[in-house]
Amino acid sequence: MSVVWQKKTHGVLRRQEKAQRLVAKLLLGVVITTSLLAATYLTLVASNVHTARQVWDMEHQIVAAQRDNEALKTEIARLSSIPVLQERSVALDYQPAETIDYLYPGVP
Amino acid sequence: MLRGPEARLRLITVVLIAALLPIMGQLVRLQILEHSQYQTEAEALVQRQYALPESPWGVIMDRNGDLLVGNMPVYDVGAEINMITDTQMAAAVLAPLLNLPEEELRQTLTAPEDTQELIWRPLTRHIPSESARKIQALNWGWITLSPAWERYYAEGSLASHTLGFVNAEGMGYGVQAFQLRFLRGEQIARVGAVSSDTSPMPDELMEGNLIPYPGTDLCLTLDRTIQAYVEGVLDQAMVEYKATGGTILVMDPHTGAILAVASRPHYEPYRYPEYTQNGQDTLFTDPAVSIAYEPGSVLKVVSVAAALDSGRVDLNWSYNDTGQLEYGGVVIRNSSGTAYGRQDLQGILDNSLNVGAATLSTQVMGAELFYQYIRAFGFGQTTGIEVTGEASGLVHLPTDWDWSDSYLATNPFGQGIAVTPLQLATAVSAIANDGVMMQPHIVAERRYPDGRTVSIPSNELGQPISAETARLVAELMARSVETTAKAAQVPGYRVAGKSGTAQIPTTGGYDPQQVIVSYVGFGPLPDPQIVIVVKIDRPDVPVSMRWGTQIAAPVFQEVMARLFTLLGIPPSNLRAGP
Repeated sequence: MSVVWQKKTHGVLRRQEKAQRLVAKLLLGVVITTSLLAATYLTLVASNVHTARQVWDMEHQIVAAQRDNEALKTEIARLSSIPVLQERSVALDYQPAETIDYLYPGVP
Repeated sequence: MLRGPEARLRLITVVLIAALLPIMGQLVRLQILEHSQYQTEAEALVQRQYALPESPWGVIMDRNGDLLVGNMPVYDVGAEINMITDTQMAAAVLAPLLNLPEEELRQTLTAPEDTQELIWRPLTRHIPSESARKIQALNWGWITLSPAWERYYAEGSLASHTLGFVNAEGMGYGVQAFQLRFLRGEQIARVGAVSSDTSPMPDELMEGNLIPYPGTDLCLTLDRTIQAYVEGVLDQAMVEYKATGGTILVMDPHTGAILAVASRPHYEPYRYPEYTQNGQDTLFTDPAVSIAYEPGSVLKVVSVAAALDSGRVDLNWSYNDTGQLEYGGVVIRNSSGTAYGRQDLQGILDNSLNVGAATLSTQVMGAELFYQYIRAFGFGQTTGIEVTGEASGLVHLPTDWDWSDSYLATNPFGQGIAVTPLQLATAVSAIANDGVMMQPHIVAERRYPDGRTVSIPSNELGQPISAETARLVAELMARSVETTAKAAQVPGYRVAGKSGTAQIPTTGGYDPQQVIVSYVGFGPLPDPQIVIVVKIDRPDVPVSMRWGTQIAAPVFQEVMARLFTLLGIPPSNLRAGP
């Protein structure tokens, strides 16, 4: 019978084994906790990157909208510019007013 | 030979530790000992300076909010020419979209044969959004479209001198160049991690948003309707009188706000590179603000106002007009060449008597007092209006090295002194505004991108004459219009004014043929709302017609009458009440 076997059968190693199992459990706990934290961290980072990408896209949309807005402003200005308005007025048969006749309401 | 599991375990442990040790050592070296060096190298690989999209400039509006200068979204086009597979086809498709000759484009798109490096070449600038969309639809990976902005002048050449332009170097003319620090949006450039296409990585968002910050909008005092009308009248006058140039300026005497200012010749601001290329840069200079001229008899109103305000004369004062006056080595004569006998201040204005004006400056006031008033009216100094290149004009003072006594005799009727139309309008506005001279201004309001609005207050430049003197001079001017300058009369309204016919100085004298005719006035009395200066350069009409009263006065009348209508100013009898 070997010395190891004797230790096992005589209870000397049982205490060691118990302690090792405890250590193993602790280590397992640490590994699991670390894994969970790492997974959470990775999820957060991924989520953050995803959100950042969305914000990035939205900011690009805002810039595009800003450009469209400026383009519309210039188009409105073109359509309401004096030469265009004059053309439209003439087409609608309007005549330039030379004077304004004022009506003076009499005091009762 | 190892015996037993324990020995083998130990051996495995030792081997593993031996294998891990160099790894650990390398980790310590990389992560701790040489950490900073590798971090720097890593940053150098991904970190670049990147610029946010070009921000739009502030827009410019008139006083009613109508757009005068806006921003047109455009694109700059480039190409990574090594990546093109069919240059011939690419050139054929792109040429009409880029408005470039096909052969020229094909040459640009052809990469040198012996190069391995990626070559990017700019193709053209500022193509419209419509063309950019068509290019995008081609889905060619090698073509690059960079968003940019182009200034858009909604009314074409309207108010071109006032609006001006700014070139790529930030130099320019008009209100745009003067207010550049407000108009130009903030161009943000940062250093940070960029992706392979040099766009900032998402982490960069932590540093702030990437939306371009636009410039400040400007609201001007100009009224585009009045401006367009005034420009139309000026164009008509230029044709009718075959003039080489001209200016019409409309100003509110109570605030100094410029309602319209038109000058000819003018230009189209968006075509400024063409003018520069053709050597026509002189067109950019605004004759209303930047070019001084000898104003002639319109300055007599200032001389009369000065004499009255000094207390040396009153409305009962008179002198004997012999038709000439010798002073400082020159002989002053009336423009008609005749003597008028006993004349008072009204007579000086009615008959535009050079001798009378010279009498006031030389015999009544003296040099010190006369030039004190000339300076108080703002001549020889800039007004501080918000456009580039304002001229101060030319006033010779007795303390100047080139002073001649003759200036004192000629300056009161507008010879030997140079003023800008803006200075003239500012000075006359003091007479229209109870003696208070307001600073002319063109910017009414700034609208910041964060929503703040700042109104630009009107500033007083001073009070060269008393309110009482101002009213007396205004009355003299109004009577002058009613008796001798009927071409300037506006039915139903009392207006005040004075004409001028100025010779043009040349080397060693005056041009015997050419003149500058002008008319300055305001109305309606007794509470003038507008001051108008009309100046027509070198009219090519018969000599007998070349007078301010015959050319500039009818133009003044036409503008004044229409402005009363446009501004909704009722006739004098209605404003006075029943």
